Amino acid sequence: MSGDGSAGPPPAPQPTAGPLEPWPDTVRWQSISSDLIWVELIRLAMLLGVLSLGLGITWAFSGSWVFGSALGLVLLLGVLRGVTIARAVRAWGYAEREDDLLVRHGLLVRRLSIVPYSRMQFVDVSAGPLERAFKLATVQLHTAAAASDARVPGLRPAEASRLRDRLTALGEDRAEGL
Amino acid sequence: MSDPAGRGTDGPAPPPAAPTARPDGPPPEEAPAADTPGERTPVGETPTERTPGEWMAPTATAPAGAEPRQRLHPLSPALHGAKSLVVVIAGLSWSTLSRVGFGWFALMAAVLALGATVLAVVSWYYTGYHVVGRELRVHEGLIWRRTRAIPLERLQAVEVVRPLLAQLTGLAELRLEVVGGGKTEAPLAYLSVADAAALRQRLLAIAGRAAAETGTPSPVEVPTGPAGAPAPPPGRPLHAVRNNDLLVSQLLTPQAFMIPFGVAFVVAQFLSEDSWSFIAVASTLTAMAGVLLQPVRRVLDDWNFRLARDEGTLRIRNGLLETRAQTVPLDRVQTVGVTWPLLWRVKGWLRLRLEVAGYSAGEADDRNRPDRLLPVGDLPTGEAIVAEVLPGVRLATLPLTPPPARARWLNPLSRSRLGAGLDTRVFAVRSGLLTRQLALVPYARIQSVRIVQGPAQRRLRLATVHADTAGGAGAAARDRDLAEAWALAAELTARAHHARRAG
Repeated sequence: MSGDGSAGPPPAPQPTAGPLEPWPDTVRWQSISSDLIWVELIRLAMLLGVLSLGLGITWAFSGSWVFGSALGLVLLLGVLRGVTIARAVRAWGYAEREDDLLVRHGLLVRRLSIVPYSRMQFVDVSAGPLERAFKLATVQLHTAAAASDARVPGLRPAEASRLRDRLTALGEDRAEGL
Repeated sequence: MSDPAGRGTDGPAPPPAAPTARPDGPPPEEAPAADTPGERTPVGETPTERTPGEWMAPTATAPAGAEPRQRLHPLSPALHGAKSLVVVIAGLSWSTLSRVGFGWFALMAAVLALGATVLAVVSWYYTGYHVVGRELRVHEGLIWRRTRAIPLERLQAVEVVRPLLAQLTGLAELRLEVVGGGKTEAPLAYLSVADAAALRQRLLAIAGRAAAETGTPSPVEVPTGPAGAPAPPPGRPLHAVRNNDLLVSQLLTPQAFMIPFGVAFVVAQFLSEDSWSFIAVASTLTAMAGVLLQPVRRVLDDWNFRLARDEGTLRIRNGLLETRAQTVPLDRVQTVGVTWPLLWRVKGWLRLRLEVAGYSAGEADDRNRPDRLLPVGDLPTGEAIVAEVLPGVRLATLPLTPPPARARWLNPLSRSRLGAGLDTRVFAVRSGLLTRQLALVPYARIQSVRIVQGPAQRRLRLATVHADTAGGAGAAARDRDLAEAWALAAELTARAHHARRAG
C-alpha cells in the first residue's frame, strides 16, 4: 500500500478525539450544507401536520382520551426532534480518503461507514422536490452488500456531481466487485 | 495468496456496472481496470428484463447466429399441476373438508388443480431458453412477456433440484444464482436429467471460460450421471454425514421435545370427548406436523449429505425426497457460519453454514436457500471442512478476544461468550450464550466496514464493528472498546484492501 489513509491510522487513537472522529490526523471531514436543516424541518412539519390532523379529527369524533394523549405525544416528540435537527444535520459528515469513502451520521445512534471505492457497484444521485427547492442533492454509494450504508445528503449540485464523478472514476479504476 | 485453486479472489471480476440501469449510474466510458484484468462485459450483463413486442412466441425467429430456443420438458406442466394440487388441498384445509363432504372437496380440488395445469401448459408453451454468447436467455410469459438475460460471468452457484415427483418422472430443475438478482434467477423447471446435467456443464464451462480469460483456471466439469440420491458428487469426497447422526441431531431440537406434549394433548382430547371425530384428530395431527415441520424437513433435506471438492468448486449433494446437487465455486463463499446449538453440546456437535452472494433474503422459502455446508458433525469434521473452504483457518485456535469488562452492563450473561479477532485470512466473530455462533468472513470478501454506537454504548465508551458482505449478514463484533473498535475498523479496511490486491 502506498502510504494512503487506510494504511496508517494510529493503532490507538487518542481518547480525546470525539467518538465520531477517528484518525483526526489522516481524515479531513467535510460537512454538508446547513440548508438541509430547513429541508428536514419542513419534512418534519409536514409529517407532524398530517399525523396531528388525523389524530385530531379522530379525537374530535371519538372523544376518546387515547387519541388526545397520542396527539400530545406526537407533538412532544416532534418538538424534541425539531430541536435536535440542527445538531443531527451537523453530525453528518463525509471524507474521501485514497481508497475509501467515510460517512458518519446519527446523533443518538452514531454510525460510521467505511466503503472502499473498489467495492462500488453504482452511485445514485437523487434530489426530491423539497431538496431541489433548496438546491440540494443526495449521493448514495451502493455496494453488493445490502447493509453498506454510504449516503450523503445535503450536497450542492456541483459538489454532488463532483463527488459522483470522482466516485465512479475511482470505482472503475479499482474495480474489484465481489 | 494461499488460495488453493489459484483463482483470484475475485475470479470473473464483475465490472462495477449498475445492476439496474440508472440515469445517474457510472458513466459508460471504458476505463482500463488497473489492478485486475477485469473482464469487461457488454452492456446488459445483468439480469435484465425486456418486453419487446416483436418476440411473439418461442417459435419466432431467433436473432441471427443464435441457437434456436428450447422448450422445457413436455411433462413439466403435469408436474406443476400436481404440485398445485398439493397446494390447493392444503389451502382448502380440513375444516372445508368437514363442511362440504368428501365428494365436493375432491371436485373443488380437481377443478382448481385442473385450472392450474391449464395455466402451466400455456406458460410452458411460451417459455423457452437458449444460450446466446455468454448469456443464458429465458423467455417467458403470455401477456407480460419478459426475457431475462443471465450473464454467466456472474454465476455464483448452480443447483440441480429434483423433487419427489421429478425423480419419479426422471426430470430435474436447474437453478442459477446470480448477484443482483432479488431471488433465484431462472429456475428452469423442468428439464430431463440428461438435459439439466448437460446444460449445467455448459453453463459452468462458459462461466469458467470467462474466468479463464481473466487469468484463473476454469473449474473442470465432470459430467454427472443420472442423479440418483446416493450417487456421490464428482471430485474428491470430503465428508459424508451419517444419517443416524442426522436423525439424532434433529431429535435434539426444541421442536422434538414438544412431541410428548403433543401426544399427550391428542390423548387427552380422545379421553375427554366421547364424540371425537376424524376431523378433530386430523386437525390436531396437522398442527403437530406444523410444529415438527422444521426438524422433519431438515432430516429429509439433509439426508445422504455428501460434500466433495472438485478443483475450485464445492459439490454438495443431499436430500431424500427431493435431491439437490449444488455447485459452489470456492471463491464465491462470502461467509462461513458455525453454530453450536444448546442441545447438541452433549454430543459436541456443530453445524456449518455458508453464504453465497445471490441467495438473498428475498427468497421467501427457507428451503430455497441451500446454505448448508455441514448439517451436523463433530469438531474435527467441522475443522477439516472449514480448513478446506477457508485454507489456513483453524477453528480451535482463532485469536478471539472478549470485549472489555464493562461490556457486561450490556451483556450481563454472554459477555464472556462474545469475541472477535483477526486471523490471517478471516475476521472471526463469536457470539451467543445458549446457541453459540461463530462467523468467519474472509478479508477479501468484505464489502464495507461500519461502526455503530448506540446511546448506552456511548456512555460505556463501547462500539460495534460490522463487516458487511454481499451475501448474508456479515459479521458484527459487538461492544468493543471504542479505541479498539477504531483500530479494528482500520485494520479490517487495510486487510480487506491487501487481500483484494493480493488476490
